Amino acid sequence: MAQTDEELIIDYLRGNDKAMELIFLKFKVQVFNYAFRLLSNRADAEDVTADTFLAIFAKKYSYQPEVKFVTWLYTVVRNACIDRIRKRKKHVSLSVKNKEDNEAEGAQIDVVDEKAVPVENIEENERARQVQLAINKLPDEQKEAIILRAYHSMDYQQISQIMNCSLPNVKILIFRARENLRKELSFFMMEGAE
Amino acid sequence: MNHEELKILVNAYYDGEATAEEKAVVETHLKECGECRKFLQGLRRLSSTLKNWSDESLSPDVSQKIHQEMGKFKEGVKMQNVYSRVSVTIATVVVVAFVAVFLNQNYYSLQMTGRLKSPIERDVKKYPDELAQKQQITVPESLGVRVDGLAKVEGDKAAMEFKGQKTDEAQQYEPYYLSSGYRIQQNVQPISPPTIEALTPEQETEQLAVRDVSRASLAVRSRQDEGGFQAQSYEAQTYGSTEETYSQELAKSACVSGWCGTPPPSPTIYYPQQTYYPPIYTYPAPSTTEEYGRIDENEFLDATQNPLSTLSIDVDTASYSNIRRFLNQNQLPPKDAVRIEEMINYFTYDYPQPSWGRPFSITTEVSTCPWNPQHELVLVGIQGKTLENRQVPPSNLVFLIDVSGSMADYNKLPLVKQGFKMLVNSLRPQDKVSIVVYAGSSGVVLDSVPGHDKYQIIAALDRLQAGGSTAGGQGIQLAYQIAQKNFIHYGNNRVILATDGDFNVGVSSEAELVRLIEEKRNQGIFLTVLGFGMGNYKDSKMEQLADKGNGNYAYIDNVQEAQKVMVNELGTMLFTIAKDVKIQIEFNPNEVKAYRLIGYENRLLAKEDFNDDTKDAGELGAGHTVTALYEVIPAGAFTFDSHRPSVDPLKYQATKVKRSDDLMTIKLRYKEPRSNHSQLITKEVNRRRMSWAPISDNFQFASAVAEFGLLLRDSKHKGNASYQSVLMRAQGALGHDPYGYRQEFLGLVQKAQSLDYRHRVNVYYPPNWSYPQPQPVPESDPIKFKGE
Repeated sequence: MAQTDEELIIDYLRGNDKAMELIFLKFKVQVFNYAFRLLSNRADAEDVTADTFLAIFAKKYSYQPEVKFVTWLYTVVRNACIDRIRKRKKHVSLSVKNKEDNEAEGAQIDVVDEKAVPVENIEENERARQVQLAINKLPDEQKEAIILRAYHSMDYQQISQIMNCSLPNVKILIFRARENLRKELSFFMMEGAE
Repeated sequence: MNHEELKILVNAYYDGEATAEEKAVVETHLKECGECRKFLQGLRRLSSTLKNWSDESLSPDVSQKIHQEMGKFKEGVKMQNVYSRVSVTIATVVVVAFVAVFLNQNYYSLQMTGRLKSPIERDVKKYPDELAQKQQITVPESLGVRVDGLAKVEGDKAAMEFKGQKTDEAQQYEPYYLSSGYRIQQNVQPISPPTIEALTPEQETEQLAVRDVSRASLAVRSRQDEGGFQAQSYEAQTYGSTEETYSQELAKSACVSGWCGTPPPSPTIYYPQQTYYPPIYTYPAPSTTEEYGRIDENEFLDATQNPLSTLSIDVDTASYSNIRRFLNQNQLPPKDAVRIEEMINYFTYDYPQPSWGRPFSITTEVSTCPWNPQHELVLVGIQGKTLENRQVPPSNLVFLIDVSGSMADYNKLPLVKQGFKMLVNSLRPQDKVSIVVYAGSSGVVLDSVPGHDKYQIIAALDRLQAGGSTAGGQGIQLAYQIAQKNFIHYGNNRVILATDGDFNVGVSSEAELVRLIEEKRNQGIFLTVLGFGMGNYKDSKMEQLADKGNGNYAYIDNVQEAQKVMVNELGTMLFTIAKDVKIQIEFNPNEVKAYRLIGYENRLLAKEDFNDDTKDAGELGAGHTVTALYEVIPAGAFTFDSHRPSVDPLKYQATKVKRSDDLMTIKLRYKEPRSNHSQLITKEVNRRRMSWAPISDNFQFASAVAEFGLLLRDSKHKGNASYQSVLMRAQGALGHDPYGYRQEFLGLVQKAQSLDYRHRVNVYYPPNWSYPQPQPVPESDPIKFKGE
């Protein structure tokens, strides 16, 4: 039977190197995407991913077994992201309002369609870009909450632990985020409506 | 509670985060409020829109690099940290805990919590110097080893409380909830600080007792400062209030010893409407020989394992009128007489006309499922082209009328005559009518009379009298012979059989009859079956005949129904515009976890049949509407109810799901009435592309009829369906109802509601009342949040 994440990390802390590999393999994409969605910058997100895993495996942070491992991991990633933004020396804020503003500020925003893509994916990528921009327009807290909820399927309690805020607050944040997104994306969801 | 607050609740409900009470509130509200159902649907649509921004992959270079970096942690792990040693001790503790459990039976019976000596205490004794030297030591704080009735030791979990290393760097990175103390209640009761070395057994017992009270939530922090290992301040920091935990504890131990405290006050039972239900005298059901085929409801199917749902359309309406007969006799219909698809298709819906050159249009609509808001309901509607009078081809009709003794009742032969007279009124000169009757033997009453010679036809009908046995098979054979003789090419050749379904003489071997009908079908002669009467009604046989004969099947219980079938919807019945109409729906596992087809139990096809033109399926008449409803569990839905248990993942096959945000793809095959080759229509359904218009009357009404069917069948998938909500929705969706069919439906629902004792649970409980029940043992999750 496969080990749970919690068992894995405890296994690693007991000195099992194999657990480290497993953790890395299991969570690397997730961690990278979370960082990428928060930072909207591929290079930074890659750095954060590296920082996170290296810090964890260097046992920089203590793990509390009563917290879910994923929750804890995301907290670490989140802090690393905040750290990363500070390291940009406050030139840029976490809130990436939109492409134009940030280009003016000198920050680099990676939007999804930068890769060379086959023609049939253009429409798909355009949709992805629209969604990304809409999410980036949200206020920071709403953005974080909805990213955790929509893309990483965290429940409200986990979100409140990761974001360090109260449960009712999370409820409101997600509600507001969805309301805003609905307004922002309405034209796009209407597209081709019958 | 205003709408905004409710929407927040609905939002939480959508995420599966509503408490039981909130859930109840939301579900009651959703039943009433179309706007909020739409809102909930909007949430689903938003979620699938958001999925467009899919996961990026981490580039292999970076992955490789991190992997290399990781390599350096591999050596010297054991030297570097104290964790491994501590965890070994923890393992020991767990074992010790086990032993303790087995030794001390009290723990079992009283459900007490035990506390075992923390490893650091032992460690101090063993290695005092070593520990003292280390400035930055990680101290396991407490070892609340919980022992519950099942002797399940959760030491591993509770024991692993470490405090982070106190380097500056570490603190900077330390997760918020580790460093900030906001969760810790301020009004904690300090416990006298025992020094660790001096823990005498008595003290330990004392501490044990205290800890019993606050259970695993007690976290004692010791701070170690320079010099020696003296606990400076021992604070009992409970996360909940101590009193509360204590009383819970008391209640629990009391429950164990058989006394559950003061029982909660018995509930006041309100009858909200204060209506007195007089006992309805239901006449004992007359002993009948009616036969219904057994219907096993469709189950939820996993969209990954069974992505395809294939069915033949069903244009029959018999079940609804049969149900109406039962209800009008103050009886609930037998379960197997309820075919939900026939109930839905009894009504005509307002779908758009097909575009030019197509025989029909397809309409889809997705919304929240009214009887289970966690699910969605997908409506697939087909509208057949309406023919204008001049476009209608000439007909060659053979009325095959059963005049056996069983047809003598007032609601049989007289009704048959009445019905056919109404039909004859709308015939044209180019149509031909023959009449074949059968009783003990069969005979031709009228052979190919033109449609405008109404006097002759009506006179012939009037002469018919009932008597004798029933040689149905012979009659059918003769009728087909006559039809063959008068065959009109490019016309509409049809045998209309009016019977109570009881064949008892001659070729009543069903297989032989079916073979005959199938053979004639292929020659272009279709069959319509009209069912009459009751008592010895053979529903199953007649449905099968119509099904095999490329025909339709209606049940006529009164003159109004005869009017509907034989006058208002005559075109629908007589003129087939497409035959062998099959629907195949492919669900997208990205969006759909599982689905269930409502009704159509005996119309399911194998998935291979869809592309097989030799397989028979349903026919679509001119102006016909056919509606299928799917109940869908959206992917990522938090289902509270029991969905079928999942199957183990396949060992040798990996199903790869393609990226798409479609909900499903509808494929439809049909043949032109005289063609042997099918044509394909494909349509994708995407939540994103659904319009924002309010829920249509079609959807509301069809879902109300389906819900009614679920109630009559007492289906296990009925969720929180109720007659109330059926009425409410149907009332709001009467739409264009020239003949009053929908109005009549309301009457039937009310009748069923008063007859149905299965669903009459009108006990109202105040919102905060719950059954007295033993408290479940809470999970050992000491983290509680401010907001809770």
